[in-house]
Amino acid sequence: MRYKRRREAAGPVTSFNFTPLIDVIFTLTIFYMLVTQFSSAELVPLRLPEPQDSRAVAAKIPDRVVVNCRLGDPAEGGGVLYSLGPNIPESIAVISDRLAAMKAQQPELKLLIRADKRLAYADVRVIMRTAGELGIELLNVAAHMSEAD
Amino acid sequence: MTAIDAGGPGWWPAGTRAIAAASDETVHFLPPRRQFRKPRPTPIALVLAPMVDMSFTFLIFFVATTRWELPEGVMTSQMPRWTGQGASAVPLPETPVIVRLSQKPGEADEYAIRIDRFTEAPTSFGELAAFLDKLQTTPGFDENTPVVIVASDEVRWDHVVSCWNAALRAECKNIAFAQP
Repeated sequence: MRYKRRREAAGPVTSFNFTPLIDVIFTLTIFYMLVTQFSSAELVPLRLPEPQDSRAVAAKIPDRVVVNCRLGDPAEGGGVLYSLGPNIPESIAVISDRLAAMKAQQPELKLLIRADKRLAYADVRVIMRTAGELGIELLNVAAHMSEAD
Repeated sequence: MTAIDAGGPGWWPAGTRAIAAASDETVHFLPPRRQFRKPRPTPIALVLAPMVDMSFTFLIFFVATTRWELPEGVMTSQMPRWTGQGASAVPLPETPVIVRLSQKPGEADEYAIRIDRFTEAPTSFGELAAFLDKLQTTPGFDENTPVVIVASDEVRWDHVVSCWNAALRAECKNIAFAQP
């Protein structure tokens, strides 16, 4: 009897309903986990060419080396920055030496050029020419795929 | 048989029931019913706090790291063999289709397309793809006819890739680059 009186004095119990909140969180988490593609450190973020009705295909190229060509920060002098994979930007001569060493170890070395779409052709042609001189025959250029893909 | 309430003061214990047979007067006494109390269910509470913490952590991580952009693909081409500095380009077949790409004077992002030995001058890469596609139906040309892209140095890389893509759209199988 005493117990009953005490409960009545406490009033109605209010509680927050967490169920829909957890549902939504789980749904969003699973969605993001499914759509996320973890990019490699060697794929430096840059603005790739976006050709209309692109014929670029998703391909995993074995034994390939990535050369990134991007625009430098205007605050730091701008220019074109060339980097081999995840390395820091280097000069064309250094990159050429590194590629030559890699080519000596891996004769079937393939090159993937990732160049910013705002660059001039001459800036990218330097890398193409270097690759040609080293005897790297297969040239791969990164571009955005079409939305339908 | 008839149940007779045997309650009340007497020599039998309280709650004892007596059952009397209808045929005779024999009374069978049954022991009092044991009163079982339903055991109270043990309260099981799921501790949701760590799960919610982890879910929020994952959610914030994915929201913060996800970048919405088109997937990246690759366009592949065979490079000519170079034998050193100043070497001449590989000898080309007799009738390649040479596509010249240049920047329009005074307009930084504009380009001009010209095709050697042809009067057609496509104004866009879509038109170039259509021209190359139509060219393959002409006698003497097919999908293996080399298409050589000659781009001037100042043309944007985006346009060069679009030109290459136009040749790929026309199902050309032999695409090469040449120096301007």
